[in-house]
Amino acid sequence: MATGLILDVQRFSLHDGPGIRTTVFLKGCPLRCLWCHNPESQQRRVQYSFDYGKCTLCLQEGHECPNGVSLGPDGAVLHDRTAIDPSTFDRCPYPAVAVLGRERTAEDVLAEVMRDQAYYRRSGGGLTLSGGEPMAQFDFALALARAAKAEGLHVCLDTCGHAPWEQYAAIAPYVDLFLYDYKATDPALHRRLTGAGNEDILANLDALMQAGARVILRCPLVPGVNDDPAHLDGIAALARRYPGLAGVEIMAYHAMGHHKALRVGQRAPLAGLPTAAEAQKAAWLAALHSRGCTRARLG
Amino acid sequence: MELQFTETYRRHQHDHPAIREACCLRAQFPAILRPPEQGDLFAGRIEFGAVGFSPQDGGFGYFCMLDRLDRALAGKDLDPEERAQVAEMRAFWAREASAARVRARFTPELARWLSVENWEVGPAVAYPIYRMLGGCLDFDKLVRLGLPGLREEVRRHKAVHTDDPDAQQVYTGMEMALDLVADVCCWYADQVEATAAGRTDLEMAAVLRRVAEAPPATLREAIQLSWLWALLSGHRNYGRMDVYLGDFLARDLDEGRITEAEALAMLQSLWRLIRARKLIFDGRVILGGRGRRNEVNADRFALLAMEATRTVRETEPQVTLRCYRGMNPALWEKALQVIGEGRTYPILYNDDVNVPAVARAFGVSEAEAAQYMPFSCGEYVLDHASYGSPNGVLNLLKALEAALHNGHDGITGAPIGLGTGDPAGFTRFEDLWEAYRRQVEHFVRVCAQFQVLVHEEAAKAGPFLLTALLYDDCIARGRGMFDGGVRALGGTLEVYGLVNAADSLAAIRQVVYEERRLTLPELVAALDADFAGRRPLQRHLAECPKYGNDDDVADAMLLRVYRHVCGTISAQAGRPGLDTYLPVIINNSANTVLGRRTAASADGRRAGAPMANANNPSGGSDRSGITAMLNSLVKLDPSLHAGAVQNLKLSRELFTTRLPELMALLETYFENGGTQVMITVVSRGDLEAAMREPEKYPHIFVRVGGFTARFVRLERDVQLEILSRTLY
Repeated sequence: MATGLILDVQRFSLHDGPGIRTTVFLKGCPLRCLWCHNPESQQRRVQYSFDYGKCTLCLQEGHECPNGVSLGPDGAVLHDRTAIDPSTFDRCPYPAVAVLGRERTAEDVLAEVMRDQAYYRRSGGGLTLSGGEPMAQFDFALALARAAKAEGLHVCLDTCGHAPWEQYAAIAPYVDLFLYDYKATDPALHRRLTGAGNEDILANLDALMQAGARVILRCPLVPGVNDDPAHLDGIAALARRYPGLAGVEIMAYHAMGHHKALRVGQRAPLAGLPTAAEAQKAAWLAALHSRGCTRARLG
Repeated sequence: MELQFTETYRRHQHDHPAIREACCLRAQFPAILRPPEQGDLFAGRIEFGAVGFSPQDGGFGYFCMLDRLDRALAGKDLDPEERAQVAEMRAFWAREASAARVRARFTPELARWLSVENWEVGPAVAYPIYRMLGGCLDFDKLVRLGLPGLREEVRRHKAVHTDDPDAQQVYTGMEMALDLVADVCCWYADQVEATAAGRTDLEMAAVLRRVAEAPPATLREAIQLSWLWALLSGHRNYGRMDVYLGDFLARDLDEGRITEAEALAMLQSLWRLIRARKLIFDGRVILGGRGRRNEVNADRFALLAMEATRTVRETEPQVTLRCYRGMNPALWEKALQVIGEGRTYPILYNDDVNVPAVARAFGVSEAEAAQYMPFSCGEYVLDHASYGSPNGVLNLLKALEAALHNGHDGITGAPIGLGTGDPAGFTRFEDLWEAYRRQVEHFVRVCAQFQVLVHEEAAKAGPFLLTALLYDDCIARGRGMFDGGVRALGGTLEVYGLVNAADSLAAIRQVVYEERRLTLPELVAALDADFAGRRPLQRHLAECPKYGNDDDVADAMLLRVYRHVCGTISAQAGRPGLDTYLPVIINNSANTVLGRRTAASADGRRAGAPMANANNPSGGSDRSGITAMLNSLVKLDPSLHAGAVQNLKLSRELFTTRLPELMALLETYFENGGTQVMITVVSRGDLEAAMREPEKYPHIFVRVGGFTARFVRLERDVQLEILSRTLY
């Protein structure tokens, strides 16, 4: 029976496909995009999240931490993350610590998803597989998508495109809509920004379009990082090459990922870069429209 | 006015109650009426005295606000003679007021268990409330027949019931009351003409004079008459306004007598007048729904009424839209538009679920049930056919607290409930349930007894003429409202702490009896200490499955508690004077006020903290989103109660950018069995509050960049940034 490492199941999702949906977030991703807003979803293993803001408050109140967090002389948080022992987590007086990632069967996840089926029916919604990268746990993703289709659900797959074509070919019959990322045009830049090149991503996209798949192109834009004119040209070019695309969406950068990275003891590569302002988003839209990509909209 | 009212009462004290009431009403009106203010298009403002007659102001029946008299006596404005008169009047009403007469009839049991009257201050499991709330008058009959028509109907029945002297007196009282209404109209007309500043005032006066003598012929006349009657009768709910005013609106518009703008201005003025009564919890205007004789015209009115709500930004009237399959979609869309602008009205009701449920709960046909009327905080009554005043308050969480302390208050140690046993002896969870059950059943019984007493004294006080004239079957039977007149005289009991009690019981079962983490006495000690030094335990309890997350285990406990209290309450019905007795699980601030006197609870709640509101999950307990919460809500059988309220907090952007999904959400909820919903659009204030107390707002989702995030999980600077960006 297929099991997957699940990060979260979010009901009443409105932004991961049409209608009212439930989004299943799988843990683990082959890429390491600098701007990732879910950095706690990158590693395919259970991780421990410490909300150090709460820890600070708790320690300042004079409590002793049962989980090894303390404050240094300058007030900064000290924590030896190599010595974490989850068996003491339930002694935390705040809900400051959480275990991220739980193994669940596809059956179990589907049962939870099915609870909202009346809402999907009426709104044209359904299940969205996301993460992390759902294709990184292909067996589970396939099992879940297949089981969902057997129940008559609409299925969306939110993917970066970086996986073997055979896997996309195998799952495509069970996917009604792909939310497909396009992050950078220049292959070397793509590798620097995400950890992998874009050749297979573009090849998979092409094959999906040839096969008649329904695809919305999702373009994260990060000010000063990947929003150079060449990439905007690249987006417009893709839109031109594939007039059958169901949509082109700009995913404007948001700084939400910084703190989440710190909570799991990871670096925040773009710490200090502020969230994209409204004016910036408008400028991106205008730039794409002026390149003939009139279907571009903010996602 | 109070002295004169008292003197009138004394003069007629031993007359037939109908005559006494008619005379006292005349001592009350127009004395307590106030002149129209600048901008009013209708006459009708009121300020109740410290003494008077009303179904619910100041008490019920003949009321006296003793503390107001005490303040006057303590002040310096009275000369010695006046002071003596007021003191004597106070002593008189302290015995003679209807509420005092109820108290004088308390059995020792009632005196012991309903000893705390001020539920805002004293801790107790249950409290009495002295009132006859929730009358819904037949305004449709009023505006179709007018005063002459009603007079004629009374005359006809009086001529038939000649062998019934009691009925003859009631009819005479009714005639006197009708004369009073006409006189009040003329009095107001005189007032208005004396200070007339323009054409509007002269028209107001002309309208008043016409309705004194003839049935209303225009919308303006229909509004004036029904508004005035509502004030004089003391009732606070304005009924199916779209039905009784819809035909007038249609005729006036179609015949070119008024424009839409003028009609809207009338409703806006009426809305302001309703608000001016400052009744906070009442002021219901019911729109839409099945069982309307003039659906098309009523819908026209309903749309205009919602526009009035959209433009008059007040907390009243509580405009309510009853929805049903096949309704004109324009009303649904208008409702969502108005709600989306942050109005919280209209409150939405689902007739397709409620009508059959009310039919079962009240034991009537579906045709009769189609006239169900939500009033006040959400209780149901059948339009001008039944009464169901909520005369008691029951705090289920306090009952559990009593069960955990062998009948004592967990904070003060005072004896507040039955001695149901030392918790140390509760070796199984069912032992605790048994103790809890006994507490609840005991207090429900006591509250039912109290309700009957109130009904009996209400019957003795008088026929409530202005109510009886517009209620089935008083004129036909020649009886007063509560003396055999109203078709169904029932009562309701306000139930609070339902969700907290259930969540607490579920947590106790898990932590004490399944995990065996600690014994029941140890848990009680932790609760008594308000979790001091026991934060991890509190957290563990708070993280136990909670109602509102579509969790079958938690929801099953809620259903068990719910069914038990509903069944216990309805089992009291059938005793004389109590045709129906049903719980109402409603929405007001009592959950917060009662929470202040309630000890820490096993759902993780601190001592004094608010309890959950109505049927909603405890603040912060719905962690799984809106659809999960709605799924939990619809597990409750609505045929077991007489009104429950659901609150939803939704973000503004749902209305502006995701309206199809929002409609799908609400329609599915209704289709799944949802009974009603009151929607608050999340405001900036909510986001700010969420930043201060995140544990209470886990359910707010916001749009962040290209995704949705739970607002309270975001870092502070991110939250600030969203706050600064979001336009509400």
